[in-house]
Amino acid sequence: MINSEKLGHILQNFVAGLSEIQGAAIVTPDGLSLSSALPPGMDEERVAAMSAAMLSLGERIGSELSRGSIERVLIEGEQGYSILMDCGQDALLLVLAHKSAKQGILQLEIKRIVAELKLIFN
Amino acid sequence: MEVLRLVVTGPVGAGKSTFVRSISEIQVVDTDRQATDETAQLKQKTTVALDFGRLKFNKDMVLHIYGTPGQTRFDFMWDLLIHKADAYILLVPADRPAELRNARVISNFMQQRTKAPMIVGFTHMDCPGAWGAKDMAIALGYGRVDIKRPPIIRVDPTNKSSVAQATIKLVEQFSQNLMLKR
Repeated sequence: MINSEKLGHILQNFVAGLSEIQGAAIVTPDGLSLSSALPPGMDEERVAAMSAAMLSLGERIGSELSRGSIERVLIEGEQGYSILMDCGQDALLLVLAHKSAKQGILQLEIKRIVAELKLIFN
Repeated sequence: MEVLRLVVTGPVGAGKSTFVRSISEIQVVDTDRQATDETAQLKQKTTVALDFGRLKFNKDMVLHIYGTPGQTRFDFMWDLLIHKADAYILLVPADRPAELRNARVISNFMQQRTKAPMIVGFTHMDCPGAWGAKDMAIALGYGRVDIKRPPIIRVDPTNKSSVAQATIKLVEQFSQNLMLKR
């Protein structure tokens, strides 16, 4: 049984911990939201579906174009980053970060939360 | 070589991925994931981005066939795929009348975004509890003969020759549409 309260707690802490992180969501591989802390005005259902679609395409590119298993999918925009990470078989993580975020710190924070999430999902 | 982009759309479990697999001559690029929503009662896996298949139709024409996800939450993929479609087929499962409403939602969504010709394919006609073609047509709003309606065919996505016929129909529809425009 997944503890959704705990999930929400981990996500809230993660978003609150670094000001450059503007939002995050945990979704199922088929695009349903498990928990989210998103900027106002973003539709949770839509974000979840998009995250699943993007990561699945990224993973498909990885296998089809011989890039091996995919660590993350990163979309760099003018305003910031969208980062997608696999959290085991049952979940994936979306992180929205501001352009000013330091890549090193961002990656480290994401690594931490993914490790935490993997414990829950595996 | 002319490339024709065909889109296969329709509600969950209509047979879109199977359709693409039946017609493609290359290994289909799919994005199947374990279903965890109500889809799971119907089948284990569901498409979350797209299916892609390819077929050399004749010496001058290659078909690129794209299958869409069925669930409304993936409507951004419907939008992405339909804009470049030259023609599309709406698959509707006859054994699950509850999906008729979703089929109409998808059909409206597409028609607001493209003028590309469409055909409708009824699937699962041989399943227990399947509706007849006439009732299906009425339920989809194609009951009246005085209103222009898209061609309606029966298609079995698991049967290569049935899918081939549907594809030929779709290409014909595209060609006719092209002639009308000229």
